[in-house]
Amino acid sequence: MAERLANCLKEKRAALGLTQAELAERVGVTRKTVNTVENGIFTPSATLALKLAVALNVPVEQLFWIER
Amino acid sequence: MGDRSVFERADFLSRRRARILPFLGVIYIAQQASYLTMAPGPAHRTVDQLKISAWLVLSAILLAALATNGFWLQPREVRSMIDDEVARSNRSDAMRFGFVFAMLTCIAVYLITMFEPVAGRDAVHVVMSDGLGAALLRWGWLERAAHRNG
Repeated sequence: MAERLANCLKEKRAALGLTQAELAERVGVTRKTVNTVENGIFTPSATLALKLAVALNVPVEQLFWIER
Repeated sequence: MGDRSVFERADFLSRRRARILPFLGVIYIAQQASYLTMAPGPAHRTVDQLKISAWLVLSAILLAALATNGFWLQPREVRSMIDDEVARSNRSDAMRFGFVFAMLTCIAVYLITMFEPVAGRDAVHVVMSDGLGAALLRWGWLERAAHRNG
């Protein structure tokens, strides 16, 4: 069965009142990277996933999980 | 653009590239029409030699941009931010796509040589143009898709 990396990036970001651009700037990537991760188009590396979790102040496993 | 932060500048350039790349790919491929209309045979006129040289220079620049992300005149931190994870992934995908397309063109050229002779330079020209053109179009498509639905 196909597996995919799901995330609640958009919800966590919105809860902090951040735009995609503001989150991208905090993490040090362009806005399109945040956009593609949020929409599930791009699967981030462990490094980027950890950076996003730190920027949103949540454990990485709350931000990303495997969906079957 | 001088007052912009590194992030704003990188985002602006990334968007501009996404807009320009597909057109660049189409123009590059369309430019090959002028090569195909040249007089056949190895003894091309001077004007034809100039056209071929222009194609070669343009191909080398586009290949270098594809391989290194381009933006050579931008500061290092801006280039680094433009070439983030998604950009690197898109470039790799585009290069893989271009390689497969070039190999398919090789097969086609090989098959054609069974029926009529093809000059070495013509074969190289077609393979390189197809491979690079396909990679540029793919790169542009992926970059535009990444910027969409923001």
